[in-house]
Amino acid sequence: MSPRARRALRIMRHRFVVAPVAFILVVAGWNLYVAAHDDGIITGSVRTSDGRPASGVEVVLLERDFVNYQEKYRTRTDADGRYRFDNMQVYIGQLEARAPDGTRSPRYLLRLWFRAQNTDVPPLLLPPPKS
Amino acid sequence: MKRSPAWPRHLAMVAVCFLMLVPFYWVIKTSLTGENIYAYPPRIIPVEPHLFNYVDVWYLIPFARYFLNSLIVTSMAICGNLLFNTAAAYALTKDFPGRRWLVLLFLSCMLIPFQATIIPAYLITSWLGVLNTQLGIALPLLSTIICIFVFKASFEAVPKSLIDAARIDGLGEWRIVTRIMLPLSKPAIATNVILSFIWSWNAFLWPLIVTRTPEMQTLPLGLARFMSVLENTTGSLHAFVVLVLLPGVTIFLMAQKEFIRGLTSGAIKG
Repeated sequence: MSPRARRALRIMRHRFVVAPVAFILVVAGWNLYVAAHDDGIITGSVRTSDGRPASGVEVVLLERDFVNYQEKYRTRTDADGRYRFDNMQVYIGQLEARAPDGTRSPRYLLRLWFRAQNTDVPPLLLPPPKS
Repeated sequence: MKRSPAWPRHLAMVAVCFLMLVPFYWVIKTSLTGENIYAYPPRIIPVEPHLFNYVDVWYLIPFARYFLNSLIVTSMAICGNLLFNTAAAYALTKDFPGRRWLVLLFLSCMLIPFQATIIPAYLITSWLGVLNTQLGIALPLLSTIICIFVFKASFEAVPKSLIDAARIDGLGEWRIVTRIMLPLSKPAIATNVILSFIWSWNAFLWPLIVTRTPEMQTLPLGLARFMSVLENTTGSLHAFVVLVLLPGVTIFLMAQKEFIRGLTSGAIKG
């Protein structure tokens, strides 16, 4: 190996080169991942207390504005009890299922790693109907 | 002569290190848990740690903008320090009439606190038309007297014969500095970079005075704004603090050997 190549290799291995390059690579990789997963699609399902899919249930997405959670979007579950939100520009929020008989699921805290991250939420469970 | 065992000294040093690191640990722990710092009994080990407080910081305030401003100001300060301090220190190693008085003037200027010079500094910045710009924020940080003396001590350690040989070979003054002095003064360069980085990165009072719009604010100002605007931000606030601290700590850890060498060489050579 020529002295010039050896010197270049030594510079490349220096911590003042390795650390910034590693940082830039991590940031670039993270941005690529974000760009590939930021369609804002939130999917999930609603189930009744006995585990059956709950169809026709309203699912509400509440978005945080500094300290309070405000209702922003609504959708309904299909025949399989599944719901889907598109183009959601949120990174923190709450999800709640509201059945026609007035019962509501406990609110699920939605925390995402970046705004509009595609995510599949664990099932929201409706409590037994009030007798 | 029998040497005393080293372990009591090491034990004392470990204890001191532990005491010094406790606040850092507490800030990092709170940023990962969001636990109130007044919680009783205090938990040493973080319970259910997560990184979502850092996500909050990124979106609740224009963190990227503050970071970019801090980065630009700090880069300007580092470049300015290397350029102006090198030039000033090299000049001070030369013999010229009034040199001693100039050194005394520099040393006496170190006694004046920055707060006392804010009004003239503001007027000069305003006169130059760089108020509310990154250059305006960096302006008073472009050269520091302590760093001039660090360079001066390092340059004085270079043998005169080496400079004379370079001069005989036809090198001009500037090339002597860049080709001979600076390559032999790496610890002084590291000290300059770290000190100017830390001072400009953490500067609060001057950026507060010189900036007028939120778009020009730096990270320490953003931290103050974050605290004044938001409530219930224990975790996010500490996550912000960690993000502000991280670049400085990283640079220090990367260059600590050169930094210590630069400071100690300045200490023994005056």
